[in-house]
Amino acid sequence: MNALLKKGLEKSIDPIMDVLHEFGGAWIFLGKVIKTFRRTSGYRKAIIQQVAEVSTRTISTVIFAGIFVGAILVLQFDTMLRRFDAEALLGGLNTSATIREVGPLIISFLLAGKVGAYTTAELANMRVTEQIDAIESLGTDPIQYLIIPRFFGVVLSSVVLLAIGLSVSVVGAILVAQSFGGINIYQYIASIPRFAGAWTLFEGLVRSTIFSTIVATVSTFKGYTASGGARGVGKAVTQSAIYINIYIVLGNFISSSLLEWIHDLTYFVIGVFERIFL
Amino acid sequence: MNLKENYKRQLETFLLAIDLLRQLFRQASKGPHRKMEIVSAIEGIGIGSLPIISIATGFTGLVMTSEIAWHMDFALSNVSMIPGFTGQFVLRELGIAVPAMLIVSKVGASMTAELASMKITEQLDAFKLLKIDVVSYHIFPRWIACILSTVCLTLISITITLLIAMFTAVTKYHFNSQEYLNTLAQFITSMDLICAITKASVFGMIIPPISCAFGLLCKGGAQGVGQATTDAVVTATLAVITLDFILTAIFSALL
Repeated sequence: MNALLKKGLEKSIDPIMDVLHEFGGAWIFLGKVIKTFRRTSGYRKAIIQQVAEVSTRTISTVIFAGIFVGAILVLQFDTMLRRFDAEALLGGLNTSATIREVGPLIISFLLAGKVGAYTTAELANMRVTEQIDAIESLGTDPIQYLIIPRFFGVVLSSVVLLAIGLSVSVVGAILVAQSFGGINIYQYIASIPRFAGAWTLFEGLVRSTIFSTIVATVSTFKGYTASGGARGVGKAVTQSAIYINIYIVLGNFISSSLLEWIHDLTYFVIGVFERIFL
Repeated sequence: MNLKENYKRQLETFLLAIDLLRQLFRQASKGPHRKMEIVSAIEGIGIGSLPIISIATGFTGLVMTSEIAWHMDFALSNVSMIPGFTGQFVLRELGIAVPAMLIVSKVGASMTAELASMKITEQLDAFKLLKIDVVSYHIFPRWIACILSTVCLTLISITITLLIAMFTAVTKYHFNSQEYLNTLAQFITSMDLICAITKASVFGMIIPPISCAFGLLCKGGAQGVGQATTDAVVTATLAVITLDFILTAIFSALL
């Protein structure tokens, strides 16, 4: 009886331990990459090449998704705000919510599939066909040679792509507001500056940077540690997409609380300065 | 791969997905239904994705309440409208889109990888040799299971998101839970629930055919499997976003 209970307990703890192993492994890998980057030089060309490759491959998808994200949210907010008789706030609320919150979330889900899965598949394929071992045996650090260009390429291009997607989503929202919703677009555009200012952009960019780092870390980590032949490649790709999505949701929560705190702190400091000096 | 070939391949996949959908609907009306296969597929698809979706949507609820409260505080300088706004946003948009995206990358990707590796190891040819129809035998049970589990998972995720949103509102913004539920009930109608269920079943219906079409057309060895999985996840995500837009337009016109 006791042995059975112990066995059941071990079996139910296993998946939790797996998730924790993954989480810790990703952090250790990120630390290793950053440490290696500090003693690496002369990989600028490779990074730029990766940025060019990733962004040209992904930009059409991101623009398409951005337009639709803006369009969905404007229709949604229109129905909701009509019930509250607050249509005058539509433009500002919609733009602010898209840039700060929903836009980065949904576009990075898409990047997880497009950029993340591609990077994982490429690296995992190299790992299971023993190309990475070959690089190692030639005396080159595979992290230096393979991971660093991909990691920084994915981070840089994802930030740029997210910024493009977010700006396109604002345009998409205006287009749909004009053609579908019967919304007064002059009122719509006039109400944008009331909510969306420098802080909104800052917050959107911070979120984008965090999500891009998550995509880059998890995709390179899962690809680098893949094992088990052709089936292992498929497994690594699927798992990297899932883990990226989970970490993005977690990171969304953490960055949201942190940014709220920073926002309050900044405005408190500004208030104190104004009191002292003005 | 040049551009023309790429577009030709995408068109081919799209047509195959539509054809798969037609075959699946025909089998749903005529049978055989393969009930035991459906049950075991539900175990893999639905129960397997339950932990991930619960965690993800739980955190979504947390974030959303504080975001909406921030906006409300900024716009109207009071936060009494949080429940209504959260409820509608969860039931009509976020409580459906987030689980759908997670299902795309968990269920859809594993379906593509499975079919693609069956294709490149010539198991599908063996099926053909034994005169087993892969659509009827392999895809149909997963399709039905995916529809049922997407609807159930969406309802579960809506419940979890709303519960956590209420918990956040109670602890952080000093709502009374009774008062929160009363306000929520005023703003949510049965139309919202119908909207959620319709959207979820449509998403569940289109994810498997797209994933399976990419898996069936996979070629080029192990590298092809990774490529097919990537393409399937992206295409299914875009399809979900596009259909979400169309359904939102229809439902906001109905209301």
